[in-house]
Amino acid sequence: MSAKEFKPLPAQPAPVTTTGPVAWVRDNLFSSAFNIAATIIIAASLVAALPGMIDWLFISANWSGVTQDECVKDGACWVFISAWSQQIFYGSYPTDEIWRVNLSLLLLTAVIASSFLLSDRLRNKISIPAFLLLPFVCLLLLDGSMIGLPPVTTDLWGGFSLNVLLAAASIIIAFPFGFLWALGRRSEMPFARSVSVTCIEFFRGTPILALFFMGSVMLPLFFPAGVTVDKLLRVWIILILFMSAYMAEVFRSGFQAIPNGQYEAADSIGLGYWQKTLLIIFPQVIKVSMPNILATFVMVFKNTVFLLVIAVPEMLQVIMSALSNSNWLGGHAIEGYLFVGFIFWACCFSMSLLATTIEKKLDTSHKN
Amino acid sequence: MFSKKTTEQIKLETRPNSAGATAFYNNPKHRGWIYQTALFVFLIGFFYSIISNTLDNMSAQGIKSGFSFLNTSAGFDVLMSLIPFETTDSYTQIFIIGILNTILVSVIGIIFSTILGFIFGIAYFSRNWLIKQIAIVYVEIFRNIPVILQVIFWYTVFNALPIARESLNLGDTIFLNVTGLYFPMLVGESGSGFVYSAAAVAIVSVFILKRWAKKRQDLTGEQFPVLWASLGILAGLPLLALLVSGIPFHLDYPALKGFNFRGGVSVIPELISLAIALSVYTGAFIAEAVRAGIQSVPKGQTEAARSIGLKESKIMSLIVVPQSMRVITPMLNSEYQSLVKNTTIATAIGYPELFTVFAGSALNQVGQAIEIMFMTLAIYFIINMVISVLMNHFNKRTELSTR
Repeated sequence: MSAKEFKPLPAQPAPVTTTGPVAWVRDNLFSSAFNIAATIIIAASLVAALPGMIDWLFISANWSGVTQDECVKDGACWVFISAWSQQIFYGSYPTDEIWRVNLSLLLLTAVIASSFLLSDRLRNKISIPAFLLLPFVCLLLLDGSMIGLPPVTTDLWGGFSLNVLLAAASIIIAFPFGFLWALGRRSEMPFARSVSVTCIEFFRGTPILALFFMGSVMLPLFFPAGVTVDKLLRVWIILILFMSAYMAEVFRSGFQAIPNGQYEAADSIGLGYWQKTLLIIFPQVIKVSMPNILATFVMVFKNTVFLLVIAVPEMLQVIMSALSNSNWLGGHAIEGYLFVGFIFWACCFSMSLLATTIEKKLDTSHKN
Repeated sequence: MFSKKTTEQIKLETRPNSAGATAFYNNPKHRGWIYQTALFVFLIGFFYSIISNTLDNMSAQGIKSGFSFLNTSAGFDVLMSLIPFETTDSYTQIFIIGILNTILVSVIGIIFSTILGFIFGIAYFSRNWLIKQIAIVYVEIFRNIPVILQVIFWYTVFNALPIARESLNLGDTIFLNVTGLYFPMLVGESGSGFVYSAAAVAIVSVFILKRWAKKRQDLTGEQFPVLWASLGILAGLPLLALLVSGIPFHLDYPALKGFNFRGGVSVIPELISLAIALSVYTGAFIAEAVRAGIQSVPKGQTEAARSIGLKESKIMSLIVVPQSMRVITPMLNSEYQSLVKNTTIATAIGYPELFTVFAGSALNQVGQAIEIMFMTLAIYFIINMVISVLMNHFNKRTELSTR
């Protein structure tokens, strides 16, 4: 029994051509004649364009100063942004009262955070009412006249905070409306259904700009003589109606994703229509529609920029009026637009990332 | 186990067991009628108050009503018009110009956004890492920036171009400067009709060839190089006609006269900026739709295609893309519709499409908001309806045919 003990040789390393960086480069950059050509062209154009852009954006850019005369270097004049930063973020809101805008934004953040952090039981009791009350609390806080603070008229509100608060306030109020319209569209009552369908299709089919325009030229005609409705309030109403139509469609596709068994189970334990809808169906609808709700919010957030057409001082409008300011006639348009673009891109991109994450979490199919 | 009755069962037994005992208001059918009547009454009241308020306000402000303003002279000029226009022409003329300009920019936008969308949507699946990254960067940048900012940005870039005297030029035929893009126009002389009819014959014969080749392949399995044959016919027939008839065409070149270019075709910067912004923005959404569509095709389809030995390019064009069209077409439909709605952002740079020129300038002068907004919105609804009908027709053809 002197059989040799079996000793396997140490494994050979995989060939260089199949693993590691060399293989990666071969597979992903130079796998065919076409890919080689494409890689070379793309790399060459990147090398040609990127250094100049980085140089203009950062290295030879002007970062400090207060007037445009201090922009002496060749690069971008970021002084333009920093000099106008207060207007860009808060519009013409009085400097002493800016804490009210900040507090509103903070409340918004807190309410959103609460829906993630609180336990399930508390969430239903606190977060949902807090969400629905938030727009009105912010309205009271920003206006101030009703709660004893110095009043600030709505024509002074503006800047990026207006974009954020307007979009948030609209989508929150659009939730119940959109839900009602979606229920109406699914209902078996013919008249209620046709009213819902008309509302949804009208507000979805009309360009948002036309709606804003109608808000500023037609809506005042609808109110009794002598009643003047604030411009921003009209914009808010328009945004709510517009959002409700989109949310209704989001909810409708959510409803379609709920299996029939859920309705039947709710019926079989004897729940009434509203109990069934609110306790069984609605929570599931919200869950499956979350990515679409976020996408809708991104859409309305981007659409708040359209308000510049009816001269509401949102962020881009502020930049454009700053560009025509006599002290800043140095042609800083590109810097201004890049900045607005970057801010919106950062917000919308992070939200769509969040939507994708949620979608992936919810997607339990194993198709691919 | 069944001997004891639950309280629920006792309740059921003690309750009189007939349908008539259900309270009238508990019957869902009756409730439905009550709700709908309430809704109806509310809507009547709502519209009554709106209409009466509007009539009161209009008479108080001295706004006329009716459509008679359409026949009056507009008295303002329009930047660009596809049909002849003078300032003395009526508002009807303005309305038609607006519609044509809207359709023009929508068609340009739809064509280019589809091209961009499909290029970048398919590029996402490229085996080249750099190409894939470029597709991702394109989609993520351009769909997350408000389109109105993009159009203003492109317009600003355009305004930074040199003046006419120093325009960028390509071989002295195409010129680009701050006042627009100029390129030569093909002008037909007498006898050009022959060439046009040759082109028409070529198009028809390509269709016939395609049907014949498909029939032959179905019957015998033999393939016919349809693509090359069609290209040959499409290029050859008109070329032959051109040579036979002695080239009855000449190019009208743009030339610098005074401060600007004359002749050829000129495209105003507003149209170019708007077309770029809309195509790039919508293209990003279409690329995303194409990506989702391709991903919706199960991997097994690609693997099966590979196993029967199809080339990679054939797998895309014959197996994956046709199947993904089922998912892509409905999304394309809504993207096209939102592109048409987004043409209204032209008002930020002054391209004279329907919204700018009719709901903007005309409304400012006439003041009849209700009538003008009604007409404007009606056009957008009609355009979107046409798109929807066309796309649904196309969708029927790509739909999964189940047996």
